[in-house]
Amino acid sequence: MSLPSGTRNYTYAQDMAILRTKTHWALFAGFLVLLLAAPLYLGGYWLGVMNLIGITLIAATGLNLLIGYCGQLSIGHAGFIAVGAYTSAVLTNRFELPFLVGLLCAGLMAGLIGIIFGLPSVRVKGFYLAITTIAAQFIIIWVINHWSFTGGFVGIKVPYASIAGFEFRSEASQFYLIMSITALGTFFAKNLARTKVGRAFIAVRDNDLSAEVMGINLLYYKLLAFFIGCFMAGIAGSLLAHWIGYLNAEQFSLTESILYIGMIIIGGLGTAIGPIFGVVFIRLLQQVLTVILVPFLESTVTALPSGFATGVTPMLFGLVIVLFLILEPRGLAHRWALFKSAYRLWPFSY
Amino acid sequence: MSELLQYIITGLSVGMVYALIALGFALIWKSSSVANLALGQIVLISSWFTYAMLVQASLPVWLAFPLVILFALGLGWTIERFALRPLIAQPILALITVTLGIGYFIEGVVTFIWPWSVDALPRLFPRDVVHIGPAVISQEYLWVVGICLVVFVLLTLFFRYHRMGIAMRATADDQRAVQACGIPVTAVFSRSWMFACVVAAIGGILIASIGGITQGLVETGLKAFSVVILGGLDSFLGAIIAGPIIGLCESLGGGYLTPHLWPGIKDIIPFIIIIIVMVIKPYGLFGEERIERI
Repeated sequence: MSLPSGTRNYTYAQDMAILRTKTHWALFAGFLVLLLAAPLYLGGYWLGVMNLIGITLIAATGLNLLIGYCGQLSIGHAGFIAVGAYTSAVLTNRFELPFLVGLLCAGLMAGLIGIIFGLPSVRVKGFYLAITTIAAQFIIIWVINHWSFTGGFVGIKVPYASIAGFEFRSEASQFYLIMSITALGTFFAKNLARTKVGRAFIAVRDNDLSAEVMGINLLYYKLLAFFIGCFMAGIAGSLLAHWIGYLNAEQFSLTESILYIGMIIIGGLGTAIGPIFGVVFIRLLQQVLTVILVPFLESTVTALPSGFATGVTPMLFGLVIVLFLILEPRGLAHRWALFKSAYRLWPFSY
Repeated sequence: MSELLQYIITGLSVGMVYALIALGFALIWKSSSVANLALGQIVLISSWFTYAMLVQASLPVWLAFPLVILFALGLGWTIERFALRPLIAQPILALITVTLGIGYFIEGVVTFIWPWSVDALPRLFPRDVVHIGPAVISQEYLWVVGICLVVFVLLTLFFRYHRMGIAMRATADDQRAVQACGIPVTAVFSRSWMFACVVAAIGGILIASIGGITQGLVETGLKAFSVVILGGLDSFLGAIIAGPIIGLCESLGGGYLTPHLWPGIKDIIPFIIIIIVMVIKPYGLFGEERIERI
């Protein structure tokens, strides 16, 4: 880790600290204040966008652990999010269980389904695994659509989240709920990557045969990666369900799965900060497109083709994914690291 | 009994088309080991282009089809030149996701130009019914089978006797040795993408002429993956044999299981087959099992 000039680590605790210097602490405190005060200066709409970013971030962090750290390609992430969302919805709506139980069960259920569809990962990888997870996506969505228990094509209503009698009705209260869980998830992922498990994941990613020879239990760690990744997807799904209030399987399409992969690639695979950059980038781009750019163009350019509004988003997202892979495969996280070192070394950059 | 025969014949003909699309996948995989997940979208956009030529520009069939073939060639060349070539020798994750990104992009283009998203191709084949034993079958299925067989034979001959076909097989075998022989590997990649797009486009037109053009064509492209998986990724023979098997499973399963299960089981049978094959025999019926070294 690069540190400012003159700062040295004398203890193990110092070496491991996430926030090392006083400047770190000050910046972090400033960021926290800015984040927690968001309901004060953001309107209801943009607060909703923040909530969506938080929920997406949990799922993307899970996917980053699975793809970025453990190297197991999954193109069915939206399917696993759907499992979590519907588990939580069914438990709280049909069985009237408390929200926290639904949240936990959503995570566990998604993790379990993830393990089942992750089983082939023990024998195959790369393209084979990609296809398996695509198949998982289609099977999950089909089951949700046809099982009367989940509401089918009609969808299912989800009550507001509530803890100990307090109902999270307003956008602001949900903001605090979602952000605290998001922070927990990010913190967990950041620390997991530095423990024995995270190192084992990285070894499996870099070369699973060598990892096995070194004594890493491939079956255990690959399935663990699937479990953790899908557990976080399930948690995100549950929060999404209680946030939107109404579920329909169309919200969890294959294109959504591809978008999640795009997010972590744009952010930077295998970095703790990557998913944050990627999620914020994609979700804000989505907002800019649908809220600002498209209405603006539609009001100024009259001869716009009718498919413009729906077609421009996937076109741009596809283009962004391809361009990032070609021009900056290490993602925004790499740019961020470059910026940080340039900032530290300035003005003596040589 | 007549029902069974009917299911078998429709299943076989749809399966042949799956096999055709799967060949488009195998072509690219064999020469450059890139997994093309944008296959479904390529099928979709080529059928829409056919629609644009035949209906919107109302060109005669003999002029429209060469144009469609040209379009597919151009599409393949563009994708290879601008998206895949900069990524040669990148990890497989990048290669897979770049095709996903391309697919996403193409889907956007399709909704951009043809926002109504569902339409029918004009009749390409006569629809008069034929009686085969007790079964009554629309003639177009037989046409589809015939065209698929012709394309299979052409491709096989190409790979056996044409210089480029031999170069492609050689590239699949050993890229470095081929380069040392002076065969331009990038040109081989480019050609394989172009041919793959043409094959996928033909498959798309055949399917769309029966079922119309819908967003479901993307799924058709994905179903073709079950053919590749079952047949083995690097085997043409595997694709040709597995295609009808998948088609049969889909049609028979759809016909006989729907009353007992939820409707729509037909659409996910190929995906269930993928999972089963993955667990039992991941490298498929005819695929070469890769033995890795550290």
